[in-house]
Amino acid sequence: MSHGGVESTRDTKKGEERCSSLSGRPKADDFGRSVSKIAVAQICESVGYQGCKESALEALADISIRYLCDLGKNASFHANLAGRTECNVFDITRALEDLGDSHGFPGASEVGNCLVGSGTVREIVQFVDTKEEIPFAQPVPKFPVVRNQKLIPSFEHMKETPSGKHTPSWLPAFPDPHTYNHTPMWNERGSDPCADKIEQARQRRKAERALLRLQQRLVCNSSTGTSSSTVLDAKTENIQESRSSPFLAVPLQPGEKDVSEVVLPAKLSNEPIKDDHVSLLEAYAPAIEAMKTGPSNGLDSEKMFLPEKRPAVQFKFKTGKKVLGELLDLSLQKKGERSSTFFLRDEERDDKKRRAEFILRQTTEYPMELNQS
Amino acid sequence: MNHNPQSSDGKHDDDSALSDFLASLMDYAPTIPDELVEHYLAKSGFQCPDVRLIRLVAVATQKFVAEVASDALQHCKARQAAVVKDKREKQQKDKRLILTMDDLQSHCASIFIGVWK
Repeated sequence: MSHGGVESTRDTKKGEERCSSLSGRPKADDFGRSVSKIAVAQICESVGYQGCKESALEALADISIRYLCDLGKNASFHANLAGRTECNVFDITRALEDLGDSHGFPGASEVGNCLVGSGTVREIVQFVDTKEEIPFAQPVPKFPVVRNQKLIPSFEHMKETPSGKHTPSWLPAFPDPHTYNHTPMWNERGSDPCADKIEQARQRRKAERALLRLQQRLVCNSSTGTSSSTVLDAKTENIQESRSSPFLAVPLQPGEKDVSEVVLPAKLSNEPIKDDHVSLLEAYAPAIEAMKTGPSNGLDSEKMFLPEKRPAVQFKFKTGKKVLGELLDLSLQKKGERSSTFFLRDEERDDKKRRAEFILRQTTEYPMELNQS
Repeated sequence: MNHNPQSSDGKHDDDSALSDFLASLMDYAPTIPDELVEHYLAKSGFQCPDVRLIRLVAVATQKFVAEVASDALQHCKARQAAVVKDKREKQQKDKRLILTMDDLQSHCASIFIGVWK
């Protein structure tokens, strides 16, 4: 059976119901209504209909639900009238007669008839005998589903005696005193100021190291365009660079204090802000001192514009291959001479990166050479 | 009220008929499911542990709905017949019988049920 107005099958009716309820909020009775719609549609089909309008089906389902409720109300009314709470067949018969008064049933006009032989019941018997059985299309679960409520245990259950004679023991127990009593709290942890300070200092050092690494990376990235020609000028450049960054500066001798500004290389920043950098430098002072403890081989005259003890610096080679290879070999050698410092891990990473870059460049440049030859 | 043996026999017949009918209801599966009927009866205050009575109510409702539907069908068929009579060329075009609000309303009004669109 299909709907004239809306195309849907009986099986998808519940889905349709859900779709239509999406527009409005789902009501508590939606399930019952949709089940009754299915039942009513089945009845219509048995009567002879081949389709129905959605609105008409809803109206008919609503009517049937109201009829059902009215029957129940009437039957319970009659039962209560007779002084009973539970209904029996005669209450239902009377209710049927009340509802059937509007369109009549055989024997309606007769007064004083025994209810057993009531016309309505006979009609129903006839109906059952003549009509073929049409069971409901789908199994319906028991509804509405009742959730088990967690009740508050009574005094008896808690094996407590209520604090007052007026309170019977079957009432729910009072909540535990800790839920409403406020007790002062004592901080059990013993404070160790020395350990705290040490911990603080350690964390500060960790932060400093991280910041230093970040600075170095920024410096390396910015230091592009250096060629072999500038190698000779390394020292001068170095000195120039030192003005911009303390990490590229000449290493401080022990005991010296560098009060120059911590400035990013010119590419990255323009105007140094004095206030911040002074404080930064003070923060970096211990880290700088730690760097000094590394092996100091002095400045390399030709290759790197960074002295050796400085942590690994990435710089891009844009020169010819030979110089490239030489430079890299020397840099690698120099690395081997160094003892491990805090930045060893960093060095390894930068080393790998540099090697990868070197290999890449070689592959791009060597084929050219091979082609030429 | 006359209490002659015939009517008492008749009563017994009626009693037995009723009890037989109620027993037969257990085999019969009404179109309206028991769970639905129980839910709405519980809502309206009807209290009965007997399943036969639930079935009776279900069957009664089914009968009612079937009556309404069949009467609306009569309206629908009459309307279609009237249309066909007027226009012979429209050869069985609208063969499908569809339940519409108009048919429902017109019938429900006759049995004093107000239906609004």
